[in-house]
Amino acid sequence: MSTLFRSTAVAAALFAGALSMATSAIAQDKVIAHAQGETTISGVPEKVLVQDWAAFDNLSALGVTVAGIPGSNAPGYLAPSIPADAAKIGSLQEPDFEGIAALEADLYIVGARSRNAYETAKEIAPTVDLSVDNGAIIDGLKTNLTKLGDIFGKQDKAAELIANVDAKVAEVKAAAEGKGTALVVVTNAGKLGVYGPDSRVSWLYNEVGMPSALAAVNDGDHGGDAVTFEFLLETNPDWVFVVDRDAGVGNEGGAKALLDNELFNQTTAAKEGNIVYVDPQAAYITMNGYSAVMLLLDQVLSGLNG
Amino acid sequence: MPALIAAFFVTIALAIVSLFVGVSDVSLTSLLSGGMDGRPGEVLLISRIPRTIALVLAGASMAISGLVMQMIVRNRFVEPGTTGTSESATLGFLTVTLLAPGWPLMAKMAVAALFALGGTALFLRVLRAIPLRDVLLVPLVGIMLGGIIGALGAFIAYRANLMGSLLAWNMGDFSGVIRGRYELLWFGLAGCVLAYIAADRFTVAGMGKDFTTNLGLNYRHVMFLGLLIVSVVSAVVLVSVGSIPFLGLIVPNLVSMLIGDNMRRTVPWVAIGGAGMVLACDIVGRIIRYPYEIPISVVMGVVGAVLFLYLLLRTPRGAK
Repeated sequence: MSTLFRSTAVAAALFAGALSMATSAIAQDKVIAHAQGETTISGVPEKVLVQDWAAFDNLSALGVTVAGIPGSNAPGYLAPSIPADAAKIGSLQEPDFEGIAALEADLYIVGARSRNAYETAKEIAPTVDLSVDNGAIIDGLKTNLTKLGDIFGKQDKAAELIANVDAKVAEVKAAAEGKGTALVVVTNAGKLGVYGPDSRVSWLYNEVGMPSALAAVNDGDHGGDAVTFEFLLETNPDWVFVVDRDAGVGNEGGAKALLDNELFNQTTAAKEGNIVYVDPQAAYITMNGYSAVMLLLDQVLSGLNG
Repeated sequence: MPALIAAFFVTIALAIVSLFVGVSDVSLTSLLSGGMDGRPGEVLLISRIPRTIALVLAGASMAISGLVMQMIVRNRFVEPGTTGTSESATLGFLTVTLLAPGWPLMAKMAVAALFALGGTALFLRVLRAIPLRDVLLVPLVGIMLGGIIGALGAFIAYRANLMGSLLAWNMGDFSGVIRGRYELLWFGLAGCVLAYIAADRFTVAGMGKDFTTNLGLNYRHVMFLGLLIVSVVSAVVLVSVGSIPFLGLIVPNLVSMLIGDNMRRTVPWVAIGGAGMVLACDIVGRIIRYPYEIPISVVMGVVGAVLFLYLLLRTPRGAK
């Protein structure tokens, strides 16, 4: 029994060795085109660092293990998949370049908030910028999944995830049909902002196809455009989706209390109970990550059907 | 004097304009046709009047607290924003938000006021320890102290993922004001009244400790009353609408250029001027990107910086 086991193990080891030699023999330089140029990567990267939670989200959906993660703002819904031994490589906006250099990574991924790090980082490690255009989040997500699938040789998994996204979008789109106008409201420390068709939740208007309750919103500011309750009253959306930025810092229910007032309660959305609270971290931090988008789509779907 | 009378009427006019600027259709004709029960009347009562009152209260009390600060520190260039007071209030609000998020706003405000009191007292303590020759050195010391306290707040907020809230508090903004959400600002009125009642004492205290004591006044009591007014007003404005820069600096200086430094006479004019300036900046912020809003602290920052430079360049160095 034991000899049989041993010889099998030896054979397996030999086979694995042969296989890895074969892969390294055919490993060749891949050129990855991205938001800030092209980066050459040789073979399948093993040590991967991410400065962006959406990129982490996508990699963990693809089943790629990450060796370095941002040291701040970890979204709660991602917590179970964050490896405990991953190195912390600085905040979302301020990478710890020395730490990154010391890790000698095969691939370093920057995103929306860390894109400015690219110029410095590319001298340290092969770096790609996976920022996504806010106006086309779903497309950007799919492009990134494809790109990561190619880099890590997980094309099939990427295709599967993309199919999931497409199916979910179609499902939400069907549910949203004829439900009327929508407005995404962001609340922060007692103040209101609105997100429009160029914002980090643009998919609600552009891909799901809920018409925006107002003509033009500029997402120039992180909190969206500042508005008053009067504005909400006059815009009178049929549905309100709330991104509560105070939640998650011990202030749950802040948005609910804020919106429960004499003016907002007169809107169609409030009168018919069409107020949906979406995961603020998914909407604000990982807006173009796979599970973030799926989570938000699910929340919108159950809100619309609820 | 005529300039001040004009300022009074301009402020009244601005308050009336403020009632009629906004997203909903509120005009004299719509009010007359709809009555107070219709949509325009309702918006006027729930949104416009509270906002206008909030602007007047915040503007007047912030300007007054700047005046009081200048009197007790005996320096023209101090206000809650250049003495560490605002930063301390923010730190207090941050601390209570972290440790006791469930507390009522009133209690949080009290904690912020206590921190403001402590921070301002620390500023005065530091001032006493440094032999000062230059009038500009005093606000510089205050700004540095404020920088340190602010950095402490930023560090805590950063650790607790509260940077967004910190940013929002630092950005004074009246867009969230409706009925039921500004009433704390009435404390500011109390501060103004106190400042008016005690105006003579502050004027005397402004002449120095020995002078005050020789006149039979308790210098420490006067100082404490001043600190209390400044701290409570800063905390109230901070938790209601966020901090407003420059206001406490500019308005008292402009008034003093016109009618001098007798506080009994200047208090009403500083209050009116502060209200007028805040009203004007808020109306501008509401109009520029209509129907969206620009926070008043941005407008005030631009206007205030220009006026501040003017004051700096105009005042001969060394003048008190």
